[in-house]
Amino acid sequence: MDTFLALELIALALTGLLIWHSAYTRGAVFTWMFFLGGAFLGLIRENVVSQVAALNLYSYNPATFHLWVGAAPLILMVFWSYTIYLALTFSEVIVRGNLIGGKRRVWVILLSMVFMASYACLNEAFASIYPMVLWKFKPALTVWGGTPAMVLWGYAGMALIFLLTLLIVYRLRMRTIYRLIIFCASVIVMIPLHLLWIAIFRLATSAIG
Amino acid sequence: MNTMDKRPNFFVREIPFIVLLVFWVIYAGIEIIRSRFDLLTSIIPTGLFIIAYILVRLISKEWKGGG
Repeated sequence: MDTFLALELIALALTGLLIWHSAYTRGAVFTWMFFLGGAFLGLIRENVVSQVAALNLYSYNPATFHLWVGAAPLILMVFWSYTIYLALTFSEVIVRGNLIGGKRRVWVILLSMVFMASYACLNEAFASIYPMVLWKFKPALTVWGGTPAMVLWGYAGMALIFLLTLLIVYRLRMRTIYRLIIFCASVIVMIPLHLLWIAIFRLATSAIG
Repeated sequence: MNTMDKRPNFFVREIPFIVLLVFWVIYAGIEIIRSRFDLLTSIIPTGLFIIAYILVRLISKEWKGGG
């Protein structure tokens, strides 16, 4: 079996373990919202970014990935949810907080953002080996053989936007199915917000280049 | 937000830690093999979170006695 296909399957299996953990420790409602919303986010965002040339960001290397959903690798349907879930869980343990419960919420979110930037360091170094991503622009600041430094900022911003949206929708006083639908639909707000977040960094660093 | 009446066992509770550790070892391992190893920027940041997590678990004695 191809090494990268094995990695894709391992990532899917490990995400399954995280879903199990979430269902067991956080309950079905949270788990459905988090992972279904995350799947919608990954599916729609990565297809938009890959296919809308005007965004001038990146596309995925067809020579690297094996499993696809449209123009985005299948793994991106779980990528954002599993990374943010790891960020949330690690942050809650480290600061002894609880996002939904309201305990040290600000610290949980801030540390989740730091975690995501740290994970970006690991993931983007790994991604540059194959390479997973084909960048469409020449960034002002780069790391690891051409990876734009904005990815660290981008990962952190995704955690902030995703967790805040989840928190707001989770706390709505309405039936579970409506909250689930609203959260999944909210990706159409989260995606432009995140693109704006990235644009701020690109604008701020453009002077350097 | 633990919705369970019963506390999950050690394995279930530590699934996120195990998952991150597996990703970290695989990524770092492949980076070393492919000579793209960058200790400072790619390995250490996530490694610090792993160490912090272990320390918190040990200090709070949640890893003592198992489960």
